[in-house]
Amino acid sequence: MSIDFDALSAMDAAHLVKAGEVSAREMADAAFSNIEKRDGKVKAFLELSHDLAYEAADKIDQARSAGEELPLLAGVPVAFKDNMNLVGTHTTCASKMLEGYESTYTASCVENILNAGGLPLGKLNLDEFAFGSSTETSAFQTTHNPHDLERVPGGSSGGSAASVAAGEALLTLGSDTGGSIRQPAAFCGVVGFKPTYGMVSRYGVVAFASSLDQVGPFAKTVDDVAHAMQVLARKDPKDVTSQPGENDFLSHLHDGIEGKTIGIVRSMIEAKGVTDEVRYALNEAIQHLEDLGANLVDVELPHAESAMSAYYIIGPSEAFSNLSRFDAVRYGKRVMAANLNDTTALSRYEGFGPEVRRRILLGSYILSSEKYQELYYPAQKIRTLITKDYTEAFKTCDTLFMPCAPRAAFKFGEISDPTEMYLSDMFTVSINIAGNGGISVPLGMGKDTGLPLAGQLVCPAFKDAELLRVAHALEGCYEKVSVAQAVQEGE
Amino acid sequence: MALSPQDVRAIADYARIAVKDEELEELADYFNSMMDTLNLIKKYDIEDVEPTFHPIGGLVNVMREDEQGDSFTIEQTLKNAPEFEDRLFKVPTILGGDE
Amino acid sequence: MKTLQEVFKKYEAVIGLEIHTELTTLNTKMFCSCKISHEDLANENTCPVCLGLPGALPVPNKQAIQSIVLAGLSTNCDIEKDSMFYRKNYFYPDMSKNYQITQGPVAFAMRGYLDLEVSGKAADERVDVEKDEDNAYLAHVGITRIHMEEDAGKLNHIGGVDGRIAGAEHSLVDYNRCGMPLIELVTEPDLRTPEEARLFMQKLRSIFLTLNISDCSLENGSMRCDGNVSLRKRGETKFGVKTELKNMNSFKNLHDGLEYEIIRQANVLDEGGQIYQETRHWEPSNKRTIVMRTKETADDYRLFPDPDLAPYNLSDEFIDEVRAMLPELPDEKRERFMANFGLGKKDASALAEDAATAKFFEDALADTKDEKIAKSLANIILNDLAAYLNAQGATIDELDLNSLYFGELAAMLSSDEISSKQAKEVLELMMKDNVSPKQIVEEKGMKQISDLGAIEALVAGVLENASEQVEQYKSGNTKVIGFLVGQVMKASGGQANPKLINQVLRSMLEKL
Repeated sequence: MSIDFDALSAMDAAHLVKAGEVSAREMADAAFSNIEKRDGKVKAFLELSHDLAYEAADKIDQARSAGEELPLLAGVPVAFKDNMNLVGTHTTCASKMLEGYESTYTASCVENILNAGGLPLGKLNLDEFAFGSSTETSAFQTTHNPHDLERVPGGSSGGSAASVAAGEALLTLGSDTGGSIRQPAAFCGVVGFKPTYGMVSRYGVVAFASSLDQVGPFAKTVDDVAHAMQVLARKDPKDVTSQPGENDFLSHLHDGIEGKTIGIVRSMIEAKGVTDEVRYALNEAIQHLEDLGANLVDVELPHAESAMSAYYIIGPSEAFSNLSRFDAVRYGKRVMAANLNDTTALSRYEGFGPEVRRRILLGSYILSSEKYQELYYPAQKIRTLITKDYTEAFKTCDTLFMPCAPRAAFKFGEISDPTEMYLSDMFTVSINIAGNGGISVPLGMGKDTGLPLAGQLVCPAFKDAELLRVAHALEGCYEKVSVAQAVQEGE
Repeated sequence: MALSPQDVRAIADYARIAVKDEELEELADYFNSMMDTLNLIKKYDIEDVEPTFHPIGGLVNVMREDEQGDSFTIEQTLKNAPEFEDRLFKVPTILGGDE
Repeated sequence: MKTLQEVFKKYEAVIGLEIHTELTTLNTKMFCSCKISHEDLANENTCPVCLGLPGALPVPNKQAIQSIVLAGLSTNCDIEKDSMFYRKNYFYPDMSKNYQITQGPVAFAMRGYLDLEVSGKAADERVDVEKDEDNAYLAHVGITRIHMEEDAGKLNHIGGVDGRIAGAEHSLVDYNRCGMPLIELVTEPDLRTPEEARLFMQKLRSIFLTLNISDCSLENGSMRCDGNVSLRKRGETKFGVKTELKNMNSFKNLHDGLEYEIIRQANVLDEGGQIYQETRHWEPSNKRTIVMRTKETADDYRLFPDPDLAPYNLSDEFIDEVRAMLPELPDEKRERFMANFGLGKKDASALAEDAATAKFFEDALADTKDEKIAKSLANIILNDLAAYLNAQGATIDELDLNSLYFGELAAMLSSDEISSKQAKEVLELMMKDNVSPKQIVEEKGMKQISDLGAIEALVAGVLENASEQVEQYKSGNTKVIGFLVGQVMKASGGQANPKLINQVLRSMLEKL
């Protein structure tokens, strides 16, 4: 049969393949065909892995003909942010430093998705080493927002969000250190989920800030995200910080939220910088939550305003250390100079882009023994206070509702001052600092810009399945997420 | 106290990044502007607060048993090496070249 | 050139040691499951973690943590339940991540000590303490901490002289050693003489060997010692400027390097010069230390808690489990050897301080509790066997020795079945042919004649033909007894028990 690929959710695709109505190979064909048509405009992919996708597809088709039971995500076209290792692909982190770097092992999260039957289409663009909020710092290409090609897709997982919005991949993985999944999901009008820290293994995902990084899925529906989590959430012996948490994301997904208490973070909704249309959409969503039977309470997060400062202390510090391994010795760009020291210094200058260099330098400065006492150590105390804010808030409610991004997607070059760009993450960073789960739920198109907007739901640590249940209920109040119109023009 | 371009040079040397002289000024500006933001944390009373270095507390003593697993083949090990000789990674002179 | 003794009249040396020990008896590295080996081909034992590949994460080896707790418990340390791994950031190509995972202000083991019994010639170096009648004194050496970390890889410098880094054209890196579990012990600046430093190192090595946490090879570098040395005038309480001394890869080098450095510093100070805080390299062949690098400012390693690793909160159960694994330590063993077998302190120490020797001794004894046998055995092991091993250039566990044969030999010797002279002969044959001493004695008809009647008959025979000597004896020249004993021994074919001959001779001469 011919497939209306644009109409499919990831789980629709899996059902079709399991039912034998579409072969996995045909599913891969459909995905690659859309990529061919659209990615010239969107530029979400840095690399396509046809061979790996068809190899996986053939395996599924053979298994099906042999009458074997197919895994959860059988035949779902998937793609991965290019900071995730996958043998058979390059892993570049969108940096000249790693141009041509071939993965020699596979990240655990990638492996889990592939073991569940995902068809790996390729690797997705990002801000260089995930430092950014617009995917503009990629050393290789600019990814365009499928809803308005003049605008950024958000970042750093811009490719992961854009490829779902463009109807290329049905499920993608991204990583989120301060909002890098939730903000691009908001800009591109898809669902993006940052699970509780530890729920998904970080092994094989190139680290930005180890205590903040978390891997999570993008898809058109919360149901897809829940299915992805069903295979992603597991204890990995290769990642000390991975914790199983709960692992049933499906049984209660459709149970609704009647009687649940949702805490509304008014101070954030009213905050300076939130555009009118975002505020309007958030208030509309609050009304929907009430209509669904939820009890609403107002909550305060008194230390949330310190989160940005703490984030730009902890993040760059860990990044400085994590990125020290790029020294032109074992791998990576090498620019020869008189001796090793100069070779490393020159390679790092030419290999890293300006934003990466800025953050490494900032981190190196903050970790000097004097600044460690003055900034780094206090920032970890602030982390305690922020975490406590959330713990206190969750004594009065089950889930929090707050803004995700303060505005809709901006135009290329619109924000050039790095410190102004950092404000894109003002509502997302505190959740990375505390470690809780947070999800970006599409709230339809903005009344002023006509661009996708989103709200953010946040859960207590490891109550992620509950969170998805609330997100699923809220999602039902809106039109189904469909592939962006702008990329379909001229097809 | 504001950072000078010379301070930035010292930081860059430590982080082993060969920043160009003409970039030092702009970086110093960036640093100083960031410091204004970062110093905001100083307004909180955190005297008696314990730091949290690892999010989602309670996770302690995570270890593995002393059992051998798979190592790389030499091809895997050297796959992305900028330069190698025999089975070893080759690097330029460590102390030389400083005329 | 001054001597140490001369220097010590005026100055006091203040020495602290930093001792790195690789946990070579483990199967795998500290943070990954690569094999530990000093012998494999270059880069054979590497993986994403120890190569520091992008995305790799460390997972600590539980048995390594047990090992460091063992080390702490056996050196009187407090075990810190709450500690963390930190990252020490510095660029060097042998450290694949360009940071070393180590511990921060709190180490697994802290505030320990070892007491050293310094005696004999070793005690002569110390001039400011009271010594007992055996010229011995006790030195109490504080241990600041023992922390867990990972080792770096190895660099080969090519194109220079003697593989030195200076002047090399390029270097080659082997990461086999990178990530090996390493424990670093830091002492308080409590040591005062090179001999004390040597004894500390020896005692620590003996303990670690007993714990079986490392092969403790100074030669291969699985146990490495750096020394911090400063001098101050006697009576001064402030520390002088210290230098850090490296490359002391044998007990002799440890002693000689420190001795040289102490004398060098004394010369500089006496000439009105200044000691600089610097790292110096001991060159055994030239018998001197040379500057490696000068430290103008303290290194800033950007130390911070490693976010990839969970903190530690060791449970009482974990520590108790490790405590239950503690073997008998050399000091305890020595006390037991003295109490149970009546051995002297010197013999007991000599046996106890080398784990392999102690084990051999106990294996040889089997279930015997006989003090006489034990003493004979101690004698054989510490004198005859030691001499043999020395000549062979081997250690006791390197040769395939049958300990039970040694027990047999000791029993025969202590019950006077054979003479000590015969014992030496038997030992030689026993080692050469690997046959039991009983068999040798039987085959060679070597049995010592200890039968009183037989000896009386032999003595009577000799005396009959020695009227001259008998007269001399009677007139008070008792020295002739030596000659007579010799005659009897000769008549017995060398097999008569000399003690009995002596006894019988004296009583028969008295009766004549």
